[in-house]
Amino acid sequence: MLRGSRMPNIPFSQLLRQLPAGVATLEGPELRFGFVNEAMRALVGENAEGQPIAQHPGQLPTALLDVLPQVYATGKPYTAKACLCTPQPAAKQDCRYFDLALEPYSDEQDQPAGLLLLAIDVSEQEAARQQAHELALVTRHLDARLRVLTETAPLITYTSDAQGRCIYASPQWYRFTGQPPTADLTAIWPLLIHPEDRLRVLYEAETARRTGTGWNYEYRLRRFDGQYRWVLSRALPEVHPPDPPVYWHGALTEVHDQRELADALRRGEAELRFLADSIPELIWTATAEGFIDYYNRYTTDYSGLTKDELGPTGWVSLLHPSEQAEAARRWVQCVASGEAYEGEYRMRRLDGAYRWHIIRARQLADGAVLRWFGACTDVHDQNLLRQVLQTQYDELARAHHDLDTFVYAASHDLRQPALNLRGLFDELRRTATFTDPEQALLLGMVDGALTQFDNTLHDLAVTVQTQRAQQDPVEVLDLGLILEEVLLGLRPQAIQREAVLDVDVAEAPGLVYGRANLRSVVHNLVSNALKFAHPGRPPHIRLRSYHTPDGEPVFEVQDNGLGMEMADSSNPVFQLFVRQHSHIEGTGVGLYLVQRIVRSHGGHVKVASTLGEGTTFSIYWTRPA
Amino acid sequence: MKHIVYISRAVRPLSDRDLEELLTQSRRDNARNGITGVLFYSHGNIAQLFEGEPAIADSLFERIARDGRHSHVHKLIDRPIAARSFTGWSMAFHPLEPAGFATLEGFFLPHHVPALPETLSIADAMLVELVRLAVFGADPTQPPQAAPPVQLGS
Ligand SMILES: Cc1cc2nc3c(=O)[nH]c(=O)nc-3n(C[C@H](O)[C@H](O)[C@H](O)COP(=O)(O)O)c2cc1C
Repeated sequence: MLRGSRMPNIPFSQLLRQLPAGVATLEGPELRFGFVNEAMRALVGENAEGQPIAQHPGQLPTALLDVLPQVYATGKPYTAKACLCTPQPAAKQDCRYFDLALEPYSDEQDQPAGLLLLAIDVSEQEAARQQAHELALVTRHLDARLRVLTETAPLITYTSDAQGRCIYASPQWYRFTGQPPTADLTAIWPLLIHPEDRLRVLYEAETARRTGTGWNYEYRLRRFDGQYRWVLSRALPEVHPPDPPVYWHGALTEVHDQRELADALRRGEAELRFLADSIPELIWTATAEGFIDYYNRYTTDYSGLTKDELGPTGWVSLLHPSEQAEAARRWVQCVASGEAYEGEYRMRRLDGAYRWHIIRARQLADGAVLRWFGACTDVHDQNLLRQVLQTQYDELARAHHDLDTFVYAASHDLRQPALNLRGLFDELRRTATFTDPEQALLLGMVDGALTQFDNTLHDLAVTVQTQRAQQDPVEVLDLGLILEEVLLGLRPQAIQREAVLDVDVAEAPGLVYGRANLRSVVHNLVSNALKFAHPGRPPHIRLRSYHTPDGEPVFEVQDNGLGMEMADSSNPVFQLFVRQHSHIEGTGVGLYLVQRIVRSHGGHVKVASTLGEGTTFSIYWTRPA
Repeated sequence: MKHIVYISRAVRPLSDRDLEELLTQSRRDNARNGITGVLFYSHGNIAQLFEGEPAIADSLFERIARDGRHSHVHKLIDRPIAARSFTGWSMAFHPLEPAGFATLEGFFLPHHVPALPETLSIADAMLVELVRLAVFGADPTQPPQAAPPVQLGS
C-alpha cells in the first residue's frame, strides 16, 4: 500500500513524527521496532527502537501480539477496533482505547520485510459509544416501563399527529373495540363514535389541533359487543418550543357508570321538579342562607310573577301587607336557628284576591348541603268553612241559651200560678164538704197532680240553673261535709221511709270539684234511692268514696230498692223526662242532671241494677267512659 | 335608579389595611358616582347592596365582579327602585384593631349598623337581613369562630 507512493518533498520522517496517530515499523521476521514516532512512544515506551516487539510490547494488548507472526507470514493486513491499552501498573483513568492496524510491507523482491503498526487513539469515541450504550439501556428500561404501564393501566392511551392521524393506540383500545391489530385507526375510530357525538368530537379535536391546545371531552364509543359506552378523552400536545406541536398524547377512560349515575341524579332532580311543578301547591326550595332558589310552576301561575320577579325573597311581598313584617322576621329567625318555619298568612293571587295559606318550611340535608324545602298550602276554603261553622255554632249556643232562659222564665212564671192554685185548692178542701167517696178520690188525685206540677216546675228551673253553673269554680271539697249537708236536707224523706244510711268516705275524703255540682249529684242520687225504695223493706243506702287501682276517685251510691231494667249498663240512657217507674212520683229530671254534670266535667256514670233487688250508681269523676 | 345585592368570598382574608383601603377608595369613588349602600365583611364573607343610576350601577357591578380580591360573586337581586334608601356608602366589619377605626367615616361594627331604612320594601329588607346573617352569623356582636358556609344557589 505504501509502496510506489511518491513521497512529498517535505521531510517525511518529521511529518510522521508529529502525526497525532502512533506510527511504528516492525522490521524483519523478528519484528524489531524500526521507526517509532512520538505518539507511539506513549504506547510502547522510550527506547523501543531495535527491540523485538515480543520482548517490548509496552501497553499493546496481547491479542495483537498473538496475531503478529500470522500477519507477517500471510501478508494480510489486520485491524482491531477500540483495543484497551493498559499501562503497567494499571490505573483506571489511564486506560485508553486505540484502533490498531497492522499493514505488511515488502522489500524490492516482493519478500515480506516488516509490518507497519498504526495506533489511533479512539478513547473519546469509545467513551461516547459506551455512554450511548448506557443511555440506550436506560432508554430501554424506560421504554419497557412505559410500555408495561400503557398496556396494563385500565385506560386506553393514544397518540395522534398534527394532521389528525392516529398513529398509536394502546392494546386496550383493540381489546375495548374488538378491532383487529391491523385496523386502520384513523379511519375506524370516528366510525366507532356514537353518531350523535361524532361531529362534536371531530370538531373539538380539530379545533384543539389548530390552536395547539389539549382537549377534554366525553363521548360514547362503541364497545366490542356493540354497546356504546361513555368515555372521557383527554389529550395534551407534546410541545418543543418554538415549534408548533406535532403530536398529541392522550388517554381515554371509561366513565359510563359515573355518567349514568349523574344522569340518573339529573333525571331524579328533573323528575322531582316535574312532580313539584304538577302539584297544585306553592312549593319552593331555599339555600341554607334562606335565599329562595326554586319556585314551582304553580307559584308563578298563582302569583302571576316570574321566578325572576319573585327573586330570592319575593315570596314575602305576596303576603298581605299587614303580615309581611312578621313573616319576614320569623323567616330570618328560622334561618338563623334552623328551626322549622310555620305560619298562616294571606297570599295574593294573580287576580288580587288574598287567600289564606299555611306556609311551612323545613331544613333538610340535600347531600352534603343544607337546604330549605317549603310549601304553602291553600287553607282558604277550610278557613271559610270553619268560619261558617263557628257562626252556626255561635247561633246555636245563643238559641240554646235563649231556650234555657225561656224555660227558666216559664217555670218561674208558672210557679206563682201553681202556688195560687195549690192555695185555692187547699182552701176549697178546707171549706167545702165532699160526701161522695169518689169525690174524695178525685181530691186526692188533684192534690197529687198539683204536687207533681210544682215539682216539675222546680226541677226545670234547677236544670237550667245547673247548666248555667257549669262554670262553677272548682275547689278541694271535703266529701264528708258535703254529704252531711245534703243528707240533712233529705232527712224528712229518710225518716218518713225509715231509711238506713251508711256513709264511708275515709278512703277518698277529698274531691276537686264544683261545690254546687257535687251537691246536685249527691242530692239527686240519694233522693232517687229514697224514692225508688222497695215497698217490702226499709231502704238501706250505702254511700262510699274510694279510689280505683289507677287512683281515680269514685263515688258510689248503692240501694236495695226496686232496681231497673238495664239495656246497657255502661251506657245507661238518662233522658230528660224518661222515667223507669211511672207509678212513682218524680220528674225524670234528676238522673239526666247527674249525667250531664258528670259528663261535662270529663267523668262518667255507671249503673249496676237488678230488678227487685237494688241499684248501684258509680260516679267516675275524672275519666270519660 | 336601581339597586344590586350580591354575595361573594374573599380570595384571601382581608386585613384591616385592605379593608380601610377599600373603604376610602369606595367612599371616594361612590360619592363621585352617586352610589350609596352598604357592605358587610366577615371572615372572607362579603355581601354588598348598592344603589345608583342604572348605567353607573351596572358598570360598577361589572368592575367589582372582575375584582381579583374576591370570587364566587353571586348576584342576588338587580332591580329598578323608585328612590334611594341609603344616604351614603358604608362598610361594616370586625377590625382586628378596632381602635383605629372608631373615627373612620362610613365604618360600623356589625352590631352597630343602623336600622334598615323604612323605604326598603319588606322583601328587600329581609334580603339584606339574610345576607347580613350569612356574613356575620346569628350573633353579630361576636365575630363567628368559623366562617359560616356561604353556598351559592345553583
Ligand atoms: C368586595 C369589593 C367591593 C367593592 N366595592 C366598591 C364600591 O362600592 N365602589 C367602588 O368604586 N369600588 C368598589 N370596589 C373596588 C372595585 O372592584 C375596583 O377595584 C375599583 O372600582 C377600581 O376600579 P378600576 O381600577 O377599574 O378603576 C370593590 C371591590 C371589592 C373587592
